[in-house]
Amino acid sequence: MHVSVDRAKCDNHGQCTFSAPTVFRLDDKGVLQFDENPDDSLRADVDEAADVCPMQAILVTN
Amino acid sequence: MSTEIDVPYLDISDPSFAMHSEAVRNAREQHWFATTNYGFAVLRHEYVSTLLKDTRLSQGSGKWPDHNGVHTGLFHDWWTKCLLVLEGDDHHRIRRMLNPAFSFRHIEAYVPRFEKLAAEIVDAIIDNGEFEFVNDFAEPYATRVLCILTGIPESEWPTIARISISIGLALGIAIREDLPEVESALAELYGYAEALIADRQANPRDDLVTRLVEANRDGDSLSDDELRNALCLLIFGGMDTTRNQLGLGIQTMMRNPDQWELLAKNPELARNAVEEVMRSNPTTTWVTREAVVDFDWEDLHAPAGSTVHFFTQVSGNDPAAYPNPGIDITVERAPHYGFGGGMHHCLGHFVARMDMAIAFRTLSQRMTNIRVNGQDKWMPDSGNTGPVRLPLAFDKR
Repeated sequence: MHVSVDRAKCDNHGQCTFSAPTVFRLDDKGVLQFDENPDDSLRADVDEAADVCPMQAILVTN
Repeated sequence: MSTEIDVPYLDISDPSFAMHSEAVRNAREQHWFATTNYGFAVLRHEYVSTLLKDTRLSQGSGKWPDHNGVHTGLFHDWWTKCLLVLEGDDHHRIRRMLNPAFSFRHIEAYVPRFEKLAAEIVDAIIDNGEFEFVNDFAEPYATRVLCILTGIPESEWPTIARISISIGLALGIAIREDLPEVESALAELYGYAEALIADRQANPRDDLVTRLVEANRDGDSLSDDELRNALCLLIFGGMDTTRNQLGLGIQTMMRNPDQWELLAKNPELARNAVEEVMRSNPTTTWVTREAVVDFDWEDLHAPAGSTVHFFTQVSGNDPAAYPNPGIDITVERAPHYGFGGGMHHCLGHFVARMDMAIAFRTLSQRMTNIRVNGQDKWMPDSGNTGPVRLPLAFDKR
């Protein structure tokens, strides 16, 4: 799967880090860092992250 | 020689203090933060955006009961375990199990129910030419939305509204005097929540409460107490905020009738209209934090334990972020912070965003020339402001 984040929409709230903590994290400046190609076994967690993002900034594709 | 920048001072407990005043705007133009009689206030959008989510600042209101002499009892017990006041792993564990039920996708499924609700309430008043916005629209609408989400019969909305308002007294300065009323209402709400949980455990459905009951992560799930606390927080936290924001939204639209007509002709702009209203005229005019450790940023030094307010209305009209700060529902803007931000970002925000969009869309399509019709009464600016009473007249379209 491929994960992309619209940085114009992302506002670094970090809700995604609760759904998929091995894919999304906030760095020491509070800015989102993420894995663009996580393992397919994490698909449900990554889809959840996209669903709960307050800014709807996450796109998940195959 | 160094130049000393004067940091403005704001007395936020003065009866004449108002968020939309020239004094506050001047303070924002003078400096990015002000000192107040209750800690620091961040005024500019860029700084609110960066610092609101800073993990050196905690949500801070967990100590409210103890600070006011309330150390035991039902309210203390519930409040100190609420998601809003939890931090660290205790918080994250519960938040990640609650989040999916409140996702964009799951809440969007309720849109037809919310539309039917808005139409029904407007139908009942549309031929009267006048109504009291809080009692006749905003309060029943906001409360019945919560009934729809939780599965409480909509006919019980007056009880739910009364309970929610009574619990709200706990966040006022008369908390000790009001405590018996608060706890009686909370006990009633516990009854509703426990009945819902027991029912969905026995009879799961495709609904929000069932999703919360069945939530689990890595073999962990929410205990009955945690479910009950969360449901009570939803019902308490989702009523007066939405009710108040709707009232402020109508106020904004009455001041911008061209935008109201634009919305009536272009209903797809309703969600953006909600964002514009919340940017410019939020109910949560400040979001409060407490410094967990000494908090330093540029020339701000907030010792550990300091209160740091983020002024959302002031930053939402900051010309540095909004060069044309007048209401324009057609443009996309930098984000507002009326729902807070960071890990404690409002959990129910998709509910509020969708139900308010539907409310404004419905009202704009059916009413025009809305104006104040009598004596209106407003709460003071605070972490939760809005109309107490807003009598309106209108022309039916």
